Order: sequence, then C-alpha cells, then structure tokens
Amino acid sequence: MTDTTPTASIPTPGASMKSPSRLSLRRIAEQPSLLVGGGIVVLMILIAIFAPLLAPHDPFVQNIAARTVPPVWYDGGSWEHILGTDQLGRDYLSRLIYGARISLFIGFAAVAIAGVIGTTLGLLGGYFGGRVDMVVTFLTTVRLSLPIILVALAIVAIFGGSVTIVVIVLGLLKWDRFAVVVRATAAQISRLDYINSAKAAGASTFYILTREVLPNLAPQLIVIATIEIASAILMEAALSFLGLGVQPPTPSWGLMISEAKNYMFFSFWLIAIPGTALALLVFAINLAGDGLRDLISPDGRG
Amino acid sequence: MLIYILKRLGLAVLVALCVSVLAFALLRVQGNAASALAGEGASAEDIAIIIRTHGLDRPVVVQYLTWLANVLQGDLGTSYFFKRPVAELIVSKIGNTVILAIMSLAIALTLAVPLGVLAAVYSGSWIDRICSGISLLGQALPSFFLALCLVMLFAIHLRLLPASGAQTWQHFILPAVTLGYYITPPFMRLVRAGMIDALSNDYVRTARAKGIPSHKVVLKHALRNALVPVVGLVTVQLGLLIGGSVVIESIFALDGLGYLAYQSIGYRDFPVLQAVVLLLSLVYVVLTLLSDVVNAWLDPRLRVS
Amino acid sequence: MGALLTVDDLRVDIATPRGTLRAVRGLTFSVNAGETLCIVGESGCGKSMTSLALMDLLPRVAKRSAATLNFADTDLSDRRKARRIRGNQMAMIFQEPMTALNPAFPIGDQLTEAYLHHKGGSRAAARARAVEMLDLVGIGSPAERLGQYPHQLSGGLRQRVMIAMALMTDPKLLIADEPTTALDVTIQAQILRLLRDLQQKLGIAVIFITHDLGLVSRIADRVMVMYAGAMVEEGTAAQIFGAPRHPYTQALIECIPQPGRTARGTPLGTIPGVVPSLVGQIEGCVFRSRCPLARRECESHVPTRGAEGHRWVCVDDAPAPALEGTTR
Repeated sequence: MTDTTPTASIPTPGASMKSPSRLSLRRIAEQPSLLVGGGIVVLMILIAIFAPLLAPHDPFVQNIAARTVPPVWYDGGSWEHILGTDQLGRDYLSRLIYGARISLFIGFAAVAIAGVIGTTLGLLGGYFGGRVDMVVTFLTTVRLSLPIILVALAIVAIFGGSVTIVVIVLGLLKWDRFAVVVRATAAQISRLDYINSAKAAGASTFYILTREVLPNLAPQLIVIATIEIASAILMEAALSFLGLGVQPPTPSWGLMISEAKNYMFFSFWLIAIPGTALALLVFAINLAGDGLRDLISPDGRG
Repeated sequence: MLIYILKRLGLAVLVALCVSVLAFALLRVQGNAASALAGEGASAEDIAIIIRTHGLDRPVVVQYLTWLANVLQGDLGTSYFFKRPVAELIVSKIGNTVILAIMSLAIALTLAVPLGVLAAVYSGSWIDRICSGISLLGQALPSFFLALCLVMLFAIHLRLLPASGAQTWQHFILPAVTLGYYITPPFMRLVRAGMIDALSNDYVRTARAKGIPSHKVVLKHALRNALVPVVGLVTVQLGLLIGGSVVIESIFALDGLGYLAYQSIGYRDFPVLQAVVLLLSLVYVVLTLLSDVVNAWLDPRLRVS
Repeated sequence: MGALLTVDDLRVDIATPRGTLRAVRGLTFSVNAGETLCIVGESGCGKSMTSLALMDLLPRVAKRSAATLNFADTDLSDRRKARRIRGNQMAMIFQEPMTALNPAFPIGDQLTEAYLHHKGGSRAAARARAVEMLDLVGIGSPAERLGQYPHQLSGGLRQRVMIAMALMTDPKLLIADEPTTALDVTIQAQILRLLRDLQQKLGIAVIFITHDLGLVSRIADRVMVMYAGAMVEEGTAAQIFGAPRHPYTQALIECIPQPGRTARGTPLGTIPGVVPSLVGQIEGCVFRSRCPLARRECESHVPTRGAEGHRWVCVDDAPAPALEGTTR
C-alpha cells in the first residue's frame, strides 16, 4: 500500500479472457507453416500406412520386357505405370509409395531411440549436476567429435546393411542434440521452487524427473524430434545411396536414386522422382518443425 | 584466460583419447584381424605367424597402447588394399579434402553471412521469408541428389565442368558448390538468430542515437557481438562439413580423405578406415578447441578475467 | 529568443493486431536554449515514446507524424537533415547504463565514434576530447579508462561514461530518459547533481524524462505532465508545484512522500482506477476515468486553458479544490 509512484499498467484489451486451449487452437491456425508442413507429413504417413492399398502394383515384381518405361507425361508413357518403371521393370509409383514407409519408419524409429538416450543423459546431467553432469557433457563432446556419416558407414560395413541396423546405428549416433537441450533446460527447471517443494514433500527422484521435469520439456523435445527425424531420413537416404544402408530390393528412396545413377543420362526422371519425394518430405517436416518452434516461442528466438 | 585454455586443452586431450579407443575398437570388432591381414587363402600357419608378429596374442590393453604409441609416432599401419603405409596414403589425399573444405566453407559463408544479416535486419518482412525459404529448401534437398542434378546440368548438358576426379581446379567446383550449399542453411540460421539477438540490445539503440549510419550500426556494433556465439556454433556445424565431404567426395570421385574412406569400406581395408575416422575426429576436436579459444579472445569479458 | 526545439502535434502510432495504439496523441511543446524541461508521467504514458520520436529511434512498428518538428531551424522530419543533428547537436542518454554500452568495444572507441563521425578530425584529437569529457563528468584517471571495457565499470561509472559520450559533440540539447532509475539511491543523487552542474556550466538544454516527481522538483525549469499519451498540464516548476491546476497533477504531487511532513506509517496517496486503453481515439478528457471530479462535460471536447506559460487541459478553469479527502 505504500507505493510512492502511482502504478497502473495498460491492460491488453481482450487478452485475459480466453481459455488456454482456445488460444492455442487459434495460434495453431495462425501458423501457416505448421498447417502446410504438418498437412504434407500427415498425408505421407497415411500413404505409408496404407501403401498396400494405394500401390497399383507389387513393388518387387520385375518385368524385363517393360524396363525404364517413362512416366505418363513423357512420350511412350502409359497410365499403366503412371511414374514409369525402373531399370528392372518394377512399377516406380508403387516403389515410391513403399519407399515412404522405409523413410518414415527409419526416421521415427531412429529418433525414438536417440530421443530416449539423449533425454535420459540430459535429464541426469542437468538435474544432478556435478560429476554426473561432467560425464554427460564429456560423452556428448566425444559423440560430437565423431564424423557421424563415416562412423555409420563403417558400422554398417562391418555388420551389414539392413533396416534394423540403420535404425540402431542412427539411433545410437543422433542423441547429441536431445542431450544438449534437455540438459540445459533440466538444469534450469531443477532450480525452480516447485521442484524444491516436491523434494521437500519427499517425492522420489524418479518421480520428480518423470512427473515434474519431463512434462516441462515436452514442447522442446517435440521440436528437436521433428528436426532430427528430417535429418535421420536424409542420412538413411545418403547411406542407402552409397550402397551401405538399406539393401536391395527394399524400396528406399536413397537406394532408388543410387540404382538409377547409371541411367541418369537417358532417364533422369528415375533420379528426379525419388529425389523430389525425399526433398518434399524433409521440407514438410522442417516446415512443421519451424511452425512448432514459433508456436512454443512466439518471439522467434527459438 | 591461461587457466581456461589449459582446462580446455585437457578436455580436448581426454576427448581425443576416447576417440582413439573407439577407433581402435573399430579395427577389433570387425572380426579376425589376422586372417584379414594374411589375405584370402592363407594357411593356418601363416595366420599364426601374423598373430605373433603383430602381437595379436597379447592383452587388448597392451595392443591398444602399442597401437597408440605407433600412432603418436605417425605409424598408422599398412593398408590391406593399397599395400602402402596408411600415413603416406593420407598425406597424399588430405590436400584435396582441405581444398574442398575451404572452398565450400568460403561459398557457405559468403552466402550465409549476408543473407543471415539481411534476414535479421528485415526480420518478419518478405526478405526474411525468402531467406528462410531458401534455408528450408536447402536443408530439404539431399546433397547427393543436388550433386546429380548439377552433374546432369553442368557436366552432361552444358559440358562446362568435369563430373568426377580431382585433376584440375574445375573438378572442385561442383563438389564445393554442393557441399557449400549443404552447410549454408544452418550457418544462415545461426547468423540470423545471433543478429536478431544483437540488434535487440540497448547498445544498438545507443549507437543509433549517436547518429552513426545504420549500415555501420549493423555491421560494426551488432555483427561483432553476434559473431561471438556464432563462431562457436559454426564450429559445431563443421561436423556437418566433415560428414558431408565423405558423401560428396564419393559421388564426384574426388580423390580426398572421404573418398579414400569410402573406398576402404568397399575393400574392407580397416586400417585406412580407422585412420580416417581418427583423423577426422581429431580435426573436429582441434577445431572446437580453437573456436573456444578464439571465442574467449573475441569476448572481452572472458579475455581479461 | 526563439525556442531551440519546437514540437507541434506530435503523434506516435503503433499498429497492433487489435488496432492502432496511439502512444503519443498530439503533443505540442517547446524547449528553449539552456533550460531543463521535465516530462513526467506514469509508465506507459508515452513519455519515452516522445523522446524516441524526437531522436527518430522508434521501433520499426511505430509511425511518427508531426505538424512541426523543428530543431534550431532545421526540420527534423527531413530524415537526411535530422541524421546530421542526431548524436551531434542533439544527444541522448538512456535508463539502463548496464546494457547501453557495447560490451565488445573499449569505451574509448565508443566515446570517440560519434565525434569522429560528425566532427571528423584525427583520432588523437577525438581521444583528447574524450579524456576531457571523462574528466568533466568526474571520472578519475580518464586516459587509462579509454582502454577499458564496459564490464570493468560500475553502473554509476557507466552512466557517467554515457553522459560524457553524449557531451562529446558539444550538443545543444540533451535528452535524458530516466537516466537515474536503474541506479542506487546514492549514485542517483550524484548523477542528478552532475547533470544539473553540467547543464549550468555548459548551458545546454535538457529534456529530462522521469516518473519520479520528487526528482523533478530538484532540477526542472519547466515541467510537462503527460497522461495516456497526451499533455495534461505544463508550466514552470513553481507553477506546477505551487499551484497545480489539473486534478492529475495534484494527485501526483499528493503521492510524493515529504520527509518530515509525511508521518511515518500514514499511507501515501494512490490514484484509484485504470488508465484507458490507448488503442483508438479517446473522446473527451483522458483522465476522466480516474478523476474524482469527473462529470458529464468531461466526455466531450475539453479545452486547453492557461496563461503566462502555464497550460492545462481541463473543463475547470478555476483552481480545483484541494483533493486531500478524495485521494488516499
């Protein structure tokens, strides 16, 4: 009551009455990048799930008589094979549709592994600090100094290429960003009052970490996960392109580009189609990730 | 400052040791080193001799220490495939990789710094949106796909540039453009974020209040402060450059370290692979160490204390 | 003698998603050479926006317009001409000395920057001038200070450096936006005394912006009271403190604790009510939602009254009765 200065702030009109859920729905609607990017991603996921229903042909059946048939919009194309056939006469559209499965599965599965590893390490380091934190920081530094593509290539070369190996290798190598961000945020949160009151109330460390700290990290985790999924998809494609990822005859977009390399002079579309699909998917995921980040921190400082 | 550098140096040595353990393990997990050394069709006696002469019967720790001592003396072993000392091979290839890295870094920085500064100065406007569009597209386009598109256009259709090899400087243009484009978006985002942060500071307003022309306010007062965190983050992104060079060199058959590593995987030539992994990791360790020291020097608050 | 700075109908509009926020609503005032004008008001009343508008330092979303904006016969709305005056004949110091200096450059560099830009000359001459100015603002061993970085100085020292920096080009007008608010009370008093001494010694005009009416009484020649982006009363310090005419000014003065007179434990005055929304037009008196004397006429056009340099915006011409019973 003993204010020396008259205080009265300007109320922001209309801002106080909205319920949080309505506000966030409206803010999602105000994020065109999230809508467009998220829309494309959801569409691709649906295509991947319903691939057997959508694909016009079996993606593995070869037809030597109908090799490198061009897509329908070129001379010599037909509606039978809308996107043409590859060098072994397999229907390209069907392979593209099944390829979405591989890309998305590897992206999500690898990031799930990486997310668990990185979040656990980050939580431990950030929450406990001290020696634990030193170990976590050290592990992260070591991980960052390893050239990820080269190590992945080497491991795949030793253990052989398959979807499972690629998922495990990428999962074991891509946890650094999770660890860095979670560690920083967990360190901030663990100093806040409500964590101290939870401690004082006798809550177990595990309970505090999973029920009090982790939920507060969720928005940032989602944003990192989208970025990492996009990057894992690109990395799978690069590994497969170099012949050290998913092995033939599995339809992976990177592998499709690799297989079409020798035909690029006459049939460039064999490269352009999976390349465009890959770029579109990664673009959409990153766009959605940007939208999510703006949604979480509207000042755009990420 | 000196204590900080010493601490940082100690950490770098520890990390390097850890990386060397991993690189050593790489050669061991790939199965029977002796039979690989002896080559196909070697008799059991040959293999036994190799095990003895190479000390493969000794404890792993001793083997590691011997190997480490050799590495420190510049002896990286002998290539299974090329039948030459690995160190010699690496010395003959490293020049090409360094040229590629410098060219692509130059391309990336000439694109990323001005675009990032523009996007930050006009943040929220259409200029900013175009810049972030370029960066999103750049991140989405797989580098090997871009490489093939460039080959198609410049090597096959226009016949302007060679598609593979490393004989002349023209051979470096397509790989450097591809790699430079690949690392531009993260650099640009870092510069933009750093500049937006710097421009929102009170000292920028002070500089404008002094009547300093706005280009000087942006380029001197804001950029200098924005570069401090950006330098550190850019080095972290150099991992991208190193990894990217493996893919790009392989596509363009550019005879550098990355291409050597790619070939060594194909030939299961593990001493070479091990050496390249070790070397590229150490390059990263040294670069981050340097960037931290440069950062400390750029930030007067750290410099004096 | 003509006024140094003439402002007529100054407006600052900020586009927001909810409409145009009119931060400054048609401000008219002038500053004579060598005098101190204090602009007083609560936070959000538009006083800082006014100072930024004069210096053309408004954020990009804010639009400035004015019928007249003249500084020593130069039209400040001509940005090319204004750029030669800003930081040269017209300088500004800010509230936060901790962040207003660039951490990446030594203070010598920052001190000489404006001088070299506006006055030219050699680096050595600029550094000599900087030493002279640091000495003037009471900083010991000034020559050594030039190589120091802002983080090596205390808050009070930094604000002295800011003042020295503003004086480098020998300005005719110094705008000080809450220059003491962020400082400790003892440092606050030192800086205030410094500003007053400098003003008398160098004869520069000062626009001093503050929310603290207590400070105003110690330095002002003239006072302008702002409320909700508009001027409500303006006059000499004697007029404002001796015979305030506007109910808002009276309420503000009520709120100043008086050592010796305000008994320990008695509640100080507060002004009940909230400031009106600054989005869109305000019809009638801006203060009427909080004015104890508000009545029907206040909702229509309110005249600007006054004589002999004392102006106020109110329906009441006669001095308002004492308000002691109504504010608390």
